[in-house]
Amino acid sequence: MPDKILHTLVNATGYFGSGAEVKADEQSNVFSALGIDWQMLLFQVIGFSVLVFVMAKYIYPIFMKVVDERQAKIEESVKAADEAKQMADKAEADVQKVLTKARREASDIVSTAKLEASNAISAAEEKAKSRAEKIVASGHEQIKKDIQVAKQALHNETLELIAQATESIAKVKLDKDSDAVLVNDAVKGAAK
Amino acid sequence: MFAAIDLHIDIKTAPMFHIGEFAVTNAMLTGTVSLIVFIAIFGYVAKMLKTGKYNRFVGLVQWAFEGMLSQIDSVIPNKKIARSIAPLALTIFFYVLISYWMSVLPGLDSIKYDGNPVLRSIAADMNFTFALAFISLIATQFYAIRAHGGIGNLKRYFRNPFKDFIGAFEGILELIGEISRYSALSLRLFGNCFAGEVLLLIMSVLTGYFAVMTLPVFMAFELFIGFIQAYVFFVLTIIFTSLATESHGPHPEHSAVKSSKKMVAAE
Repeated sequence: MPDKILHTLVNATGYFGSGAEVKADEQSNVFSALGIDWQMLLFQVIGFSVLVFVMAKYIYPIFMKVVDERQAKIEESVKAADEAKQMADKAEADVQKVLTKARREASDIVSTAKLEASNAISAAEEKAKSRAEKIVASGHEQIKKDIQVAKQALHNETLELIAQATESIAKVKLDKDSDAVLVNDAVKGAAK
Repeated sequence: MFAAIDLHIDIKTAPMFHIGEFAVTNAMLTGTVSLIVFIAIFGYVAKMLKTGKYNRFVGLVQWAFEGMLSQIDSVIPNKKIARSIAPLALTIFFYVLISYWMSVLPGLDSIKYDGNPVLRSIAADMNFTFALAFISLIATQFYAIRAHGGIGNLKRYFRNPFKDFIGAFEGILELIGEISRYSALSLRLFGNCFAGEVLLLIMSVLTGYFAVMTLPVFMAFELFIGFIQAYVFFVLTIIFTSLATESHGPHPEHSAVKSSKKMVAAE
């Protein structure tokens, strides 16, 4: 069977043998043996050219319009994306700049606040200290006065007691002057 | 089992009927079906795009179109030339793809009219592949003339041998290459499509009833090859156009060598 297939194939080409299907005059003509017919070739050329013309005129422009529109959209989108990216980068840079400035200002404010707070604390401390000193001085003054008053009161009371005591001992009614002399003498004697 | 099989493999397309003296072949019939499918798909998608309605199929076709268009834009730096050559290159790709895939349709050799198979991909007709190559060649030359001018374009092939002997030789080689590369392009497409049809036919014969299991594998393979061939034809067309329109600079002889190297690499 393979021999039969081979025989059929060889006959079909028309080059290698004298097949029943190949006419004798075609064997001498390569183009004819290959099935090339000038009339047919011209018909195919014209037919295909007309097909190309029709497609180029009526069909492909619709496709190309869609492709171009899509391409334009893509390019526009890419451009917009680039612009947006640039703007985002710029905004980010601006934000960074503002942030840096804000941080610096905040740092300045904090340091100023710290300084002011420190000054205020120092001033308050100073004020409190001076007030405390004033209070202490005033206290001391008051204590001195109180002591003085107490001393005077004690002195007077002592004199009174001595007068009473003397009076009760001497049974003599002493006037104020003699009483005072006696008391003073007594005090001096006691002090000695 | 095989003795009863009568394989009908003919490198030529078979005439189905005649209009006057003009023979309408099986490849032309299949090509017409491909044309209807091609126009129907693109017409439908264009209509949907125009009305702003989308579905998965529209998205798929649009995606394929956009992919191919971006290929053209990436190969040809001049956008004006790229958009001018795009209709030809895109039509080549999509029409060849659909036509090639027609060869995978069931009933390849079994549906016959007047003893000849009715189904045959138009890409397996050398008239069609040569016509494509011829149109590509004309288009490339047209854009080359627009880019360099008529004389400038001729200077790519014909140089004074007394001034630049090697350059003149290279120009002749370039001229031969110009013709041979398009011939190779058309023969490659024809060879692949024809061989694919023969392969499917032989596999169906050799595997007999097991063909239901083996043929889908080969059909899938053919679909892949069809895509590759359509893409190769498409991409080489735009590469040749790009090479023909690119500026050669102050030393054309060096650029010609560079171009030749690029073309070899591309092929």
